[in-house]
Amino acid sequence: MALPPEPLEEVLPKATWVVDAEVKEVVSQGPAVPKVQAPAGHTSVGAKTASQVVKLTVKRVLRGETKTTEIVAEKPVAGYALKAGNHGPFLLDGSKPNPMILGRYGPDSYAFSAIETALKRAKA
Amino acid sequence: MPIRISDQKLATLYANLERQRLTNPAVKIGDSQVLALLAEVGDRAGSSSSKVLQKLQAPGMTFQQKVELIKKGMSASEKTDLGTILDSGTVPLEASAKQLLEAVLDRNSPPPPAGDGSLKITGDQHAGITGTAKAGDAIEAINLTTAPGGRLHMDDTMVIGHADNFGKFSANALPDMQEGDLIRMRARHSDGSTGDWVTVKAHGLGASDSRNAVVALFRIGLTDAGGGKVNVANINESRQVSEPGATLQLTNQRTGEKTKVTVTETGGFPAGFSVNGKAGDVFAVAASDGKNNLTFATEVGRLTVPGGTPGTVDLVKDPALHKDELNPDGTPRFEKRRFTGPLFKDGASPMDVQQGQLGDCYFPSAMAALAQNNADAVQNMIKENGDGTYTVTWKEKDWATGQFKDVPIKIDGDLYVRSWGGPLYGASLGSDKGEKTMELWFPLIEKSYAQWKGSYNTIGSGGMSNDVFEAVLGRDGESQSVYPGNEDSVWRTLTKAIDDKQPVSAGTHGESESALYTNTGVYADHSYSVLGYEVKNGEKYVKLRNPWGESEPAGNGPNDGVFLLKLKDFNKLYQTLMYT
Repeated sequence: MALPPEPLEEVLPKATWVVDAEVKEVVSQGPAVPKVQAPAGHTSVGAKTASQVVKLTVKRVLRGETKTTEIVAEKPVAGYALKAGNHGPFLLDGSKPNPMILGRYGPDSYAFSAIETALKRAKA
Repeated sequence: MPIRISDQKLATLYANLERQRLTNPAVKIGDSQVLALLAEVGDRAGSSSSKVLQKLQAPGMTFQQKVELIKKGMSASEKTDLGTILDSGTVPLEASAKQLLEAVLDRNSPPPPAGDGSLKITGDQHAGITGTAKAGDAIEAINLTTAPGGRLHMDDTMVIGHADNFGKFSANALPDMQEGDLIRMRARHSDGSTGDWVTVKAHGLGASDSRNAVVALFRIGLTDAGGGKVNVANINESRQVSEPGATLQLTNQRTGEKTKVTVTETGGFPAGFSVNGKAGDVFAVAASDGKNNLTFATEVGRLTVPGGTPGTVDLVKDPALHKDELNPDGTPRFEKRRFTGPLFKDGASPMDVQQGQLGDCYFPSAMAALAQNNADAVQNMIKENGDGTYTVTWKEKDWATGQFKDVPIKIDGDLYVRSWGGPLYGASLGSDKGEKTMELWFPLIEKSYAQWKGSYNTIGSGGMSNDVFEAVLGRDGESQSVYPGNEDSVWRTLTKAIDDKQPVSAGTHGESESALYTNTGVYADHSYSVLGYEVKNGEKYVKLRNPWGESEPAGNGPNDGVFLLKLKDFNKLYQTLMYT
C-alpha cells in the first residue's frame, strides 16, 4: 500500500541493526497473500506480497555488531518484495531466530543521509 | 441639387467638393477640407486666405484659437453660407469638421478641449464616455468598482477610444459599467507617456446606483500586533481591496466594537491602520459606497485573526479516522488539534502537497496536479467562513441529467496529529507544521473529501485520481492504459493534456513477488502527479512528482519527490494515465 514510509523517528528506536547491505539470495518465501480485488486503475489499494527470508551481505554497519558480514533476515508481508541484488539501508529489529526488516518499503524506505543524520541526533 | 452659397470663393470650393463626390461617393469634408473652406471665411481679418490657412494648420493651434481666428474675419453673409453648408450641404461632414463649423457658428457644440490637452470628461455616460484630451491620445479606463472582484491591478486599463484631431473623443461604455460605478481614466500620448488619472462616478446609465462597492476579502490581512491591537492591511498592495472612497466597517464579534475605515486612493488601507482585538478574534466585514448598504447591515464576510488559542468545542463534527488508527474499542488513537494558519501562503502549488499516513495517494497526487495546471480551481473551491469553519465546494455528477451540481462541505480546522504535533494525514509540505502557521488548503480539502465521502477510512483504501479531477472541475475524467509498446500513444495523450493545462496523474502497478519496483525509486501501487514532459537529446522524459514530497529515483537533484523518467521506463513502471 503506497503510504509514505513510517516516520524514521518512530522506526529507528526499534532497530537493533542498521546496515548497508545487499540481498545475496532469497532463502525462502511465505505463503502467497490473497490479491486485493480493486477496480481497474485504482491505486493505493494495499496490495501486499508474501513474506520472505533473505540472506544479506553486509557492506557497512551503522548500528549493531560491527564485525557482522552476513545476516539472515525476514521480510514481512508488505507492499514490496526483494530479489537478489536489491540493496540499500536495512533497519532490522532484534527478533529471533531472524531479525525482521523494518520500514514499509525495506531498503527503499529511507535515504542513507536521513538515517545517518537521525543516528547522530540519537547519539547526541 | 447644388446648394446656394453667396460667397464666390466659398461657392467655388464647395462646388469642387460636390463634383468630386459625383465620381467618388466616399468623399467627405474632413479636417483639411473644412480648414480650407474656413480660411476663405477668415480672410477679412487683414490676411489672405492662404495665410489664414497656414495659421489654422500651424502646430499648437488650439481648437479655441482656430474658432476665434475664423470668427474674427467672418462676415454675416459668410456666416449664412456656413450655416447652409452645415444644414443643407450635399457633401457629408466628418464629425470633427462638423464640430468646428458648429463652434464657429456658435451652435450648441461641446466645449473645446483645454489648452493643455489634459483629459476631461464631458456629459454623462448614457451613450458612452465622451470628453477631450490631446489630439491622437488613446483613452484608457478601468472600472474601480468591479476590479477588486477580479485579479486586476489598478492600472490594468483597457483602451476605450482615441481623441480625434481636435482632441475630442467619444468612446463606448466599459463592459458591465453601471450607474454609480467609479471609472478611472487616463490619456496615453503618442510618445507612450500618460497623463494624470481622472476618476468619475458613472451616471446617466440607470435610475439609481444599485451596485455596492465590491470587497476582495481575501486580500485583507489581519495580524495580531499584541497589546490588544490587530493590524489590518492589504496583503497584495498592487491590487485593490475595494473601490477608493468606500467605507469598510469591521465588527469584532467578541467585543461588538465597530471600526470604520475609508479605502484609500490606491484601494487599500491607510498606513498603520489597526483595530482593537487579538488572535482568534473574528471580524465581520461590511462595506458601503456611500449610496448602498448605508447601515452596513449586509456583511461581505468574516475574517479570523490567525493564531488564536485552539478552541475546545468541535465546530463541525469531524470525519472518523482510518480503521488502522482506531483502538479496539473504536476510540481514536490520535488526538485532534485546531489549526488556524492561512489557507494559502502564495497561492496553490504542487509543492504544497504532502501525503500523510493514509492510503489515498490518488488524492494528493490529483490535488498537486490540479495545483500545477489549474491553481485557480483549487484556490476557488475553498473559502474561509470567518467563524473558524471553511466551506469546500465539490462537484457531483447527477447521473440522471449528466450535469454536475455543487456540493458544499463545511469543516473546521481540527486535524488529527501525531504525538509531536504534525498532522497524521495530509499536510503542507515543509518544516512548518505549526498549528498557527501551516498553510492549510491541502489538509483541509482532504478533510472535506473525507467528510463528504464518509470518513478517512472511506477515502484511505485506494481510489482513482480521475474521480478527484471530476469532483473539482465538474467535467468527466478520462484515462489511458500504459504498457510497453504504446509509448507513442501515451506521449501524444500526456503532452496534449499538459499543453491544454489539464491535470494529469499516473498510477503504478501493484508489486509482485518478482520485485519489479524495489530499488527503482518508483513505488508500487502508487499514484504520481504528472507535472510535465521534456525532450533532451532526442530522448523523451515524463516529469513526475511523488505525493510524499520525497523518495524518487537517484540522480534527480534534491530529494523533493520530483523526477524525470524516460518514456520507455514510464511505460514499464506505470499502468494508467488519468486526466480530464
